[in-house]
Amino acid sequence: MKPIPRRKFIQSSALAGGALLFLPTLKACSSSGGQLAGNYFLNEFGIDENLCRKLLAEALSKGGDFADLYFEYTVSNYLGLEDGKVNQSYGDISLGVGIRTVKGDQIGYGFTQDLIEESMISAASTAATISDMSATSVDSSLSKLQTGDYYPVAPDFNGIPGESKLPLLQKVNEKCFDLSAEIVKVNAGFSSAVKRILIVTSDGVLAEDIIPRGYLYASVVAERNGKREQSSWNLGGARDFSFYTDEVVDEITSKSVNNALKLFDAIQPPAGEMPVVLGPGVTGVLLHEAIGHGMEADFNRKKTSTYSTMIGKKVAEPFVNIIDDGTNMNLAGSINVDDEGTPGKKTVLVENGILTSYLHDKISAKHYGVEPTGNGRRQDFQNYPIPRMRNTFMTGGDATPEDIIKEAGNGIYVEDVSNGQVKIGEGDFAFYVSQGRMIENGKLTAPIKDVNIMGNGPKMLANITMAADDLVMYRGGAGQCGKNGQGVPVSFGMPTSLVKSLTVGGTQQKGGRS
Amino acid sequence: MKTKEKEVNPQELSDWVIDQTLKAGADNCKVSLSKRRLVEINYREHKPEVIKEATTKNLYLEVFINNRYAGQSTPDYRQSTLSDFIKGVVESAKIMEEDPYRTLPDPEYYEGRTTEDLQLNDPSYSALTPDERHQMVKSVEDSCLEKGGDKVISVEAGEYDSTYEELVKTSNGFEGSSQSTIYQIGASMTAQDEGDRRPEGYNYVSCRYKEDLPPLDEVGTVAAERTLDLLGGKKIATTKIPVILENRGASRVLNGLLNPLSGGSIQQKRSFLADKKGEAVGSKLLTLTDDPFIPRGLGSKTYDGDGFPARKRDLFAEGVVNEFIVDWYYSRKLGWEPTSGSISNIIIPPGKRSLEEIIKDLGRCMLITGYIGGNSNSTTGDFSVGIIGKLYENGQFVQNVAEMNIADNHLNFWKKLVEVANDPYKYSQAIFPSLVIDDVMVAGI
Repeated sequence: MKPIPRRKFIQSSALAGGALLFLPTLKACSSSGGQLAGNYFLNEFGIDENLCRKLLAEALSKGGDFADLYFEYTVSNYLGLEDGKVNQSYGDISLGVGIRTVKGDQIGYGFTQDLIEESMISAASTAATISDMSATSVDSSLSKLQTGDYYPVAPDFNGIPGESKLPLLQKVNEKCFDLSAEIVKVNAGFSSAVKRILIVTSDGVLAEDIIPRGYLYASVVAERNGKREQSSWNLGGARDFSFYTDEVVDEITSKSVNNALKLFDAIQPPAGEMPVVLGPGVTGVLLHEAIGHGMEADFNRKKTSTYSTMIGKKVAEPFVNIIDDGTNMNLAGSINVDDEGTPGKKTVLVENGILTSYLHDKISAKHYGVEPTGNGRRQDFQNYPIPRMRNTFMTGGDATPEDIIKEAGNGIYVEDVSNGQVKIGEGDFAFYVSQGRMIENGKLTAPIKDVNIMGNGPKMLANITMAADDLVMYRGGAGQCGKNGQGVPVSFGMPTSLVKSLTVGGTQQKGGRS
Repeated sequence: MKTKEKEVNPQELSDWVIDQTLKAGADNCKVSLSKRRLVEINYREHKPEVIKEATTKNLYLEVFINNRYAGQSTPDYRQSTLSDFIKGVVESAKIMEEDPYRTLPDPEYYEGRTTEDLQLNDPSYSALTPDERHQMVKSVEDSCLEKGGDKVISVEAGEYDSTYEELVKTSNGFEGSSQSTIYQIGASMTAQDEGDRRPEGYNYVSCRYKEDLPPLDEVGTVAAERTLDLLGGKKIATTKIPVILENRGASRVLNGLLNPLSGGSIQQKRSFLADKKGEAVGSKLLTLTDDPFIPRGLGSKTYDGDGFPARKRDLFAEGVVNEFIVDWYYSRKLGWEPTSGSISNIIIPPGKRSLEEIIKDLGRCMLITGYIGGNSNSTTGDFSVGIIGKLYENGQFVQNVAEMNIADNHLNFWKKLVEVANDPYKYSQAIFPSLVIDDVMVAGI
């Protein structure tokens, strides 16, 4: 239980504490037989099919619809640069199994960090307490799930070693200082993890995956005439080291430095309702908050979402198509398989303006009598899966960005967003604009910053009146979505779009600025 | 239930790890062992929705070699694996760049810790049975459903409790240990409003001792009342009026004033308070005390993250920046004395009048009871955050408000702190009364 039931997205690039280090102290995966991840838990921990069946039988010893096992071994590491030196190194190992018994919409859950039979049986019997009937049988044969491969890694991939991160971090530092004499502080960090999972279900599915994750970031402070401004940028996703090229370093450093410098000219944004133009890319956070969370089916089966009676209804203009996709190559929210054994899929939330599908896990899919959509995700083995987004985006329309800005007339243009939050039941949401511009008389003018924007999900959808054909998927890797105390990586995408009216939380009265 | 875990002796394990780490080449090291046992039960529609129970353990090792540093954690205590783990952390540190400020503190800084019993560990914890837990959640659920009446769409009630132990040792003589318990219980309710609006409100409370929990039917009733208070919430025209930050949520705004006090923010030039020590940044009513010694306090402790003895201090005194939050590492980088880099219980002294009395005198004002999104820029002090609340005029309730926003700069905002109510919220580490701020831009239509 988390004391505060809120859902939010936080871009955790700036000085993330956390996560660690170097490579697994367990034996490296030395097989050259081209095994991607297959049999990892068998080879390293002796987790075989007989043991799995025994644990599942214990989990269903008092009945229940189904049970599943989620084995995880994740090694994360973080290297940080401050004051010109790579002087922070942190690492973490997450190892264990979570065992779930499901009866209708009721969940029993136990987990243990000790992959020894006695501890695992004990966790399974904890899960079993949710039911009090006679035992349910376990499927006698396990078959390996066929999935896509949306973040291929070499067979011997074992994480990104610290040594290879050092020169990159130094390069980020040097480039930031080279780009402007006004830069006074640079922080850079490289976070990465390799996550191995094995999912075994009582209905006979066995799925194994290896997920590379990470991001490289820069965060800079600039100083001009005694005034300071900060900005940061990161790139990453479900990728191995080959992604982190000089071009990536160039993009991270130029974005963070240029954005920080722009802020010296920023003015206080106005307050009140006005047209808002979303620039392409990370502004898709708006979809994540305004519609994505509300479409997670757990909220709908409990009737706590504002969208719970809207399936099949028109919610937006016919050009609006909104998709939640686990199958994009290498994005932070991509998944070959979700965390309860359903293959990663692409799910259409809004098709031609009509609300079409919720985001399901197995429990909600059964409730609604539909197929699971592959959205059952969890932070780690210590948590049970719940419906979560993957990469959420809107497809493009046929306007041009120039037309859209012109049509907005007077309002604001959003370039970068740092975080957001939604209240599911009301549909009211917020997202925090760290970089933007004023739109005055149909033209982009002064920069703005640090302004929260408020809206209501269904109202906002109906108010999307134009979109350009310039969809950009956000390639950041630091984005975390939080729900019920669990963080999972997600991404977004957005074409340039016009929302006719949102509430901008600035400090100046509307209509004319000094 | 029976989680059979082979008991490790924390003293022996930490001594062994320190010994092995030094043998592997470290100049110094610090090892922290922790263990948590947790139980979580949620109810919906009069039946358990989730039952979760487990034990977690963690070993965190920090090593220092020639001014190089690395830290790493593992849950795997098998001795064969730990030997490799230790070597791995030492190797990690060796490849780092030299940082002369990265050392363990001088041992003299460890001295002077209180021996007072802060009562963080409820002796009755182990007597709590699964049945009692279910009964507790049922009472909360029942009272929430009853108060919510025909407006209820859904009620979820939940209880979480855990017992936590830690042992921290360094190779240069620090040793600290603590044991604590925590109970959290509450409910969230979703209510039917106009159209497709289904406001969700909640009430969760946390205590170290079970006997300190408020009556459970009250916990559920308050959850329902707070939800019913959201019905009909609408935005009003953008305006500048006095606002009241309700006690339980005020830390959402006040955190923007605390983060820039940290040594890290100051040294990294990301603090708008860096050059403000001794200056007034708020009204005389802004006194903010960090008090680690409150018996049964949710943030109480006897030592901090560096092993320094906990100490009571004023961070802000009558509006003036009085003390920064500086740990050992950043104290060395800044060339200052360390003050302790972490906070404990944060207190604002209560005022004399009740919220109701204050509202009567404020004319048109808004009581802010919830927040959405928002953020605060520690470098400049600018902040902007979505709000939910209630509008009053001359003490009379006018309407509930939603989908609105407040924005300001902290250096301006706290100077407008004009009154503090007499209602400190005690189920939190931030023990704040409701705070009245004059003349705030509230954005809506």
